[in-house]
Amino acid sequence: MTFFLDQLLNGLSLGALYALIAVGYTVVYGIIQLINFAHGEIFMIGAFGALSTWIVLSWVTGGSTAWWNLPLMLVGGMLVAVLTAVVMERFAYRPLRNAPRLAPLITAIGISIFLQEFVRLFYGRIPGFPDAKSAIPFPQIEFFTGDAVNVGGLLIHRGNFFVVGALGVCWAFLWWFVNKTGTGRAMQAVSQDPDTSRLMGIDVDRIIVIAFAVGAALAAVAGLASGLRYGNIDFKMGFLAGLKAFTAAVLGGIGNINGAVVGGLTLGVVEAMATSFIPGQFGGPAWKDVWAFVLLILILVFRPQGLVGAKVVDRA
Amino acid sequence: MRIPTIFTPALQKRYHTVGRVLALAGGLLFAASAYLPWAYSGDALDDMSYLGGPSTLQFLGMFLGLILAFCAAMGWIEPWADARKLFPPLLRISKRAGWTRGAKATGIGVLVYIGIVLIAITLELGGLVTVEWGGWVALVAALAGFVGSRLLTAGRQPSLERARTAPWVDIVAIALVLLAGLMLAAYALNQVDGGTFVVILAFAGVLTAFLLRSGIGGWLSAVSRRHRTVLVFSAFAVAFLFPFTQNGSDANMSIATQVLIFAATAVGLNIVVGLAGLLDLGYIAFLGAGAFTAATMSQSAFATIGWKPPFIVVMLIAGLVSATLGLIIGSPTLRVSGDYLAIVTLAFGEIFRITMSNLDGSDGPDLVHGSSGIPAIPNLNLFGFDFGAVHVVAGIPLGRFSNYFFLMLLIMAVIVLVFTRLNHSRIGRGWVAIREDEKAAEAMGVNVFGLKLLAFAGGAFLAGLAGAVKAHVDQSVTPDQYIFLESAFLLAAVVLGGMGTVMGVVLGAALLKLVPEKLRFVNEYRMLLFGLLMVIMMRVRPEGMIPNQRRVLEFHADDEDLVDEIEEDLPYEFAEEGS
Repeated sequence: MTFFLDQLLNGLSLGALYALIAVGYTVVYGIIQLINFAHGEIFMIGAFGALSTWIVLSWVTGGSTAWWNLPLMLVGGMLVAVLTAVVMERFAYRPLRNAPRLAPLITAIGISIFLQEFVRLFYGRIPGFPDAKSAIPFPQIEFFTGDAVNVGGLLIHRGNFFVVGALGVCWAFLWWFVNKTGTGRAMQAVSQDPDTSRLMGIDVDRIIVIAFAVGAALAAVAGLASGLRYGNIDFKMGFLAGLKAFTAAVLGGIGNINGAVVGGLTLGVVEAMATSFIPGQFGGPAWKDVWAFVLLILILVFRPQGLVGAKVVDRA
Repeated sequence: MRIPTIFTPALQKRYHTVGRVLALAGGLLFAASAYLPWAYSGDALDDMSYLGGPSTLQFLGMFLGLILAFCAAMGWIEPWADARKLFPPLLRISKRAGWTRGAKATGIGVLVYIGIVLIAITLELGGLVTVEWGGWVALVAALAGFVGSRLLTAGRQPSLERARTAPWVDIVAIALVLLAGLMLAAYALNQVDGGTFVVILAFAGVLTAFLLRSGIGGWLSAVSRRHRTVLVFSAFAVAFLFPFTQNGSDANMSIATQVLIFAATAVGLNIVVGLAGLLDLGYIAFLGAGAFTAATMSQSAFATIGWKPPFIVVMLIAGLVSATLGLIIGSPTLRVSGDYLAIVTLAFGEIFRITMSNLDGSDGPDLVHGSSGIPAIPNLNLFGFDFGAVHVVAGIPLGRFSNYFFLMLLIMAVIVLVFTRLNHSRIGRGWVAIREDEKAAEAMGVNVFGLKLLAFAGGAFLAGLAGAVKAHVDQSVTPDQYIFLESAFLLAAVVLGGMGTVMGVVLGAALLKLVPEKLRFVNEYRMLLFGLLMVIMMRVRPEGMIPNQRRVLEFHADDEDLVDEIEEDLPYEFAEEGS
């Protein structure tokens, strides 16, 4: 039983990570029906942004890992991720807004490769920064790393507190932002009908940029969380995480923010359970990605609107 | 992002005579400067340091200069000849060509050409001082030619594609173009120096730009439409001759064989993406399935299947295994389309790769030895012909890779045949109909699901064949050869080359494989550049380098002039295909 609960918690924290990234897919898809394939790379860049902030800070503090580093790293990661996402939207996606569906998808793959390679080749060339061609150890911030905490017989990895807490805060913020602010309501309007929204005086281009920025900010939170959880980051981390997060978004119903959270948590739990409880040779960590992808395919084929359900869109 | 117009029409109207003189003089001077030394020492590019003895690259530059001068001069020659009624048949053809547009393209071209040459010299010898005075003369000439050609008023729209020429002229033209292509390719491949390779690429680019802008390109494509069979046969003849230009060296043949394998797979992908419009992001899995099947049934000591049938049988089985996988991957298309399909295929590709690395005995049955794969796959031996040995034909030794090159050429021929026949058949039209409007196609009685499955299975079968050969060429098969990036590469070849055309895809595949092989200094940055290239290509020319005419329409539906232009051409194409 303890083992089961351990795995459940493990799955939930993994799922919270997926959920944070999945929101980015879902917000953008909800508004312009674009699968922003490069979103996983934004997550990676968020992690590198947070790391860079810490490195710059450490020149002054001499490598302090006190808790107050964390909010600064978060802000740094968010700034870099949001900036990348906004530039990407402006120069790669916006010119293609009325192009056939194939064009933005291919562009997204191009951006994805470009960003990965850019980080791999040039990150280490900045004076004082480590070489990014292999994994870089992530700073171990006090309280959020270290020995697992024993809660009633359950061992909880400390990084998990951060992920789950961050997801809670971000979810509450998103709910407030989308439902209570003018900009959030404008986003809802654009996702329902961009043309009418424009007639009502909404600056659709601005709303789209905001959607990209919100997604990128949350991806940066996930990037930081991932660094704390796994203890290192590398330039390839965005591909698989992005794919999993997309699975999560689809699982919950793409275009639906609550769906992304539900989908992320579900996927995390399924993955953890499949790793631990599928007997024989096809269980274990070697096959967990396969089970996640099988789930993705099954959902896409049999319930494309997802678990929570989303606005039905023609995906042709 | 709009480039501001410096050379406004008003300016062009006032100074077009000056422009013509400048362009003519610049072109002639540029051509003449080939006889001057461009570089301080012979170590840069090919030896450009002699006075009076142009190197090959300088000859190529001279050629471009002469084209510029000729195009500029045609603005005077034409009315002069017209007034005297000289050579009426030639004049009629000349009047259909867009000489001024050609001059403008070449004007930019010579500037780019000399720019790249000078940069290469500077980089290779270290510093601008290493450029000799002849190089500066050439630069000034190119600048004059550029400014001059910009000052010309926009010329007439070329209509050479409608010129009626005698069949023998057409066929000679095809032969000449292909022969020139072969010579250029053979020459470029034999360069060890990266700079020289770039300069040759630049030359080819400028020449292509000139041909397209002046309308000669349009004429050539009309000619190739008229004589498609001749073109295809001579293209294969040229490819067949290629190993004989290598003097027994196998280094380039190894690249050429890889290009052919890559191209064959890309043509298969082209069926799925280019014709049927189904985006497949896991296509490399089919190549992998073919390779793994062939490897497990090969004579390798590490092969896990005891049954060792002859290679022809293995190849067919590899194709069938891939096709079966294609059917499985294609079956969700009944319910999934568009972006979702792309993700499903991507997931399948990843599942394939992970599964292959897990079949190692500890995480699954030991079928392919997991991530270490199956090594030591022996060379093929078909009907007593040993692919590993060197065969001497007409005094020229042909090594191991040449043998595989011929085999791949044969397979490529079959694939191209299948592709073109399908494309022009009821099935191909069905695919295009599905791509353009699935619902309308279904309403018209097209069997949408069946055709989609056929596209997946057919494309996968071709990739499986290529994979079976690849296993023997590479001599080992490992799962990490079949990662997502390779799928992205294949897609890039299809997209860059031009969706829906064989020529475009082969060209795209050749460029994607060749450039990193030849440019070692680019190798480190190649992925970065490809990512960037894909983004730029989608913005600037989403239909690819050699696009399918109908495809162009899809990407530029709001450009009305272009739509009219293409629609005028289309019935002609239909008539050609139907006959």
